[in-house]
Amino acid sequence: MSLAPSHGPRTSLVVAALPVALAIGVFGLVYGAAARPVIGPELAVLSSLVVFSGAAQFTMIALLAAGATTLGVLGGVGALALRHLPLGAVLRPRFRANRGRRALVSWFLIDETTGLALTRAEPVERTLAISGSLAYAAWVLGTIGGVAGASAAPVEPLAGALFPVLFVGLASLTARSRSDAGRALAAGAASLAVLLAWPAGGALAAIGVAVAVAAAGRAP
Amino acid sequence: MSVFTLLAVAAVTVGSRVAALALLPPPPGTLAGLVARLPAPLFAALAALSLTGSEAGASDPAMLAALGCALLVSRWSSLLLTLAAGLSGYLTVSLLL
Repeated sequence: MSLAPSHGPRTSLVVAALPVALAIGVFGLVYGAAARPVIGPELAVLSSLVVFSGAAQFTMIALLAAGATTLGVLGGVGALALRHLPLGAVLRPRFRANRGRRALVSWFLIDETTGLALTRAEPVERTLAISGSLAYAAWVLGTIGGVAGASAAPVEPLAGALFPVLFVGLASLTARSRSDAGRALAAGAASLAVLLAWPAGGALAAIGVAVAVAAAGRAP
Repeated sequence: MSVFTLLAVAAVTVGSRVAALALLPPPPGTLAGLVARLPAPLFAALAALSLTGSEAGASDPAMLAALGCALLVSRWSSLLLTLAAGLSGYLTVSLLL
């Protein structure tokens, strides 16, 4: 299945989004199993329903398990939420919808749907809505499965490998030239070096490296 | 954790999404050029972030095999192929070690 730009029907977009949704569903299973003992089954499911952010929710659980206060949790989640700004900035010029519709589909603004939206010929808002709906359903159903006691142990190591691989795929899809590919390799290597030396830097450090690499390059 | 804390977390996350797509203007001038070059480096940086954040860690041979296989097939620009190659590499090395 190629995700190169095409004018295929809606089913082709659904087919393109399915592997992403599957990966997110597996991660949802792991999240549900991890969240249940920390915040209870009801709040674990509710969190996936109203937050829909794996990074934010895993951070929330880790901080709560470590005894963090509400302010500490909000600080950690707020830092992660800043990643939406570059994602939105990348997509914003491609939107044709008005502000109200952009606000509605912003619910589906996650790393994976952004990658798909950048590589599809369909309107950005449609790609976000369709791929985001699938991802949201998979995330919530995965969480319910994990909370209900489905064992995450067999898939947990695999889930850990899914997202680095998925992001490599999204980087390759969004690299439209040799210089893009070179910048992606440079950003990946530099981020890895920074994060190994400074693990606490987290998402902000990684995004900072990506912005620095993009700023250092010239337009193709 | 209270429902209030959870709703506050949701407000922060949802608010940042709405701000990014509905409140902030499109990037102007020079910034637009930077933003146009950002996607590939951004996803590569997120790959590094999810690698170092994984339980196995960046030095796990199976994780490295997964990334290596994914990078090998990335020239074909197929997400499904990249996922299949990466997971095949991961499972192969996991079974061998």
